[in-house]
Amino acid sequence: MAKIEPIVYGDRRVYPVAAFNHGLAGYIARLPTVWVEGEVTELRRADTWANVFLTLKDARSGACLPVTIPRARFDALELGLVDGERVHVEGRPELFEARGSLSFRARTIERFGEGEHAAALARLRRVLEAEGLFAPARKRRLPRFPRAVGLLTGTDAAARGDLVTAISTRYPPAWLVVHETRVQGRGAARRIVEGLRLLAEHPAVDVVVVARGGGGFEDLLPFSEEAVVRAVASCPVPVVSAVGHEQDEPLCDLAADVRASTPTAAARLVVPDLDELLSGLGQSRRRLAAGTRQALARDRGRLERTGERLRAAPRLLLERRRATLLATGGRLRTLSPVATLGRGYAIVRSGGAIVREAASLSPGDGVAVELAAGSFDARVDEVRP
Amino acid sequence: MSDEPRFEEAHAQLDAIVARLESGDVPLDEALDLWRRGEELYRLCVELLTAAEGRVEELETGPDDNRPGTL
Repeated sequence: MAKIEPIVYGDRRVYPVAAFNHGLAGYIARLPTVWVEGEVTELRRADTWANVFLTLKDARSGACLPVTIPRARFDALELGLVDGERVHVEGRPELFEARGSLSFRARTIERFGEGEHAAALARLRRVLEAEGLFAPARKRRLPRFPRAVGLLTGTDAAARGDLVTAISTRYPPAWLVVHETRVQGRGAARRIVEGLRLLAEHPAVDVVVVARGGGGFEDLLPFSEEAVVRAVASCPVPVVSAVGHEQDEPLCDLAADVRASTPTAAARLVVPDLDELLSGLGQSRRRLAAGTRQALARDRGRLERTGERLRAAPRLLLERRRATLLATGGRLRTLSPVATLGRGYAIVRSGGAIVREAASLSPGDGVAVELAAGSFDARVDEVRP
Repeated sequence: MSDEPRFEEAHAQLDAIVARLESGDVPLDEALDLWRRGEELYRLCVELLTAAEGRVEELETGPDDNRPGTL
């Protein structure tokens, strides 16, 4: 910093404005970074500006402090601030030397109370967790074929429309019971609890989807209020929570039986896919027919085998008899004299009777001799008894 | 809809019948009965799915909700 030299007029030392401002700026620049609390007023932002301007006003006394913040940084905070909101601003004072005006150069801005809310939320979460409200054992299975699906949605049409479309696309015959209510701002928690109760009381509703599109931290707060979290946990029918985006984690998500990050995911959870269902039914039908055909074929097979045995029975009997007959025939043939004659023996008969002793004959007697083949008559020459 | 046999029940019965038939030791006359019953259930299921029109029913809040000063 250039040395600031006063001009000396006799016994008076005088500083030129530029020198004074410069000196003051240097002095102020040594002040520490601090947090300042106030209400946002006169917020001015333009895409072409390097900075965003606003005036921070003391809520009680009305005292004002001009604030500047680099536009890129302001945009990155994504606060969506509007006039009248209370904020905490972190930064340091800065002097605009050309005009001798003081402003507060902000590094970051936070909505007032966000930290408090976050801490309160963490406390509540610990309490409910200790109570076992989020325990996996508490989670119920969703019905495969709910008669009706209850939808609890905000009055903003987007969340409701997306969900209705996602469900009816997947399962056109779906029966939806919709309850629209205010889901943010004062009274939202009470309305959500009431809506849940109404939907669960509906005689056909077998599952409820609590839906709300993305929103700021504050917008989702009702879904973390104790009454809502408890109502979700104790709802008589299973609850699917489709609140906010993936990164948000309102406490009702933890208490719900299942969490869905998109309307499509919620639809997949609560209704079956009609096309899959129909093709599954078709398959059941084919299996039914195949099973019956199999039973039929099995019985026909049994019948055929019995029939074959029946038809085979007489032939078997015949063959057995033929074999017996053949054996008997063989035995018969061994006993027959014909076989003996075949070996060279002859049978001699006299007057029809078989001659067994030579003494029964006399010379000159006629005998008949039978051979294996043919016979002849002969006369006895000599007898040697 | 609640008077009619519920789709879920019909579907479960159909599954049970298919499983029984496929177990392979069902006497023929029982198999034929099962098949007949299964076909009925199949038709019923398809009918329940295709005949039902999707519907969206609005559930309004109770009248006491709009009392002034209940915010």
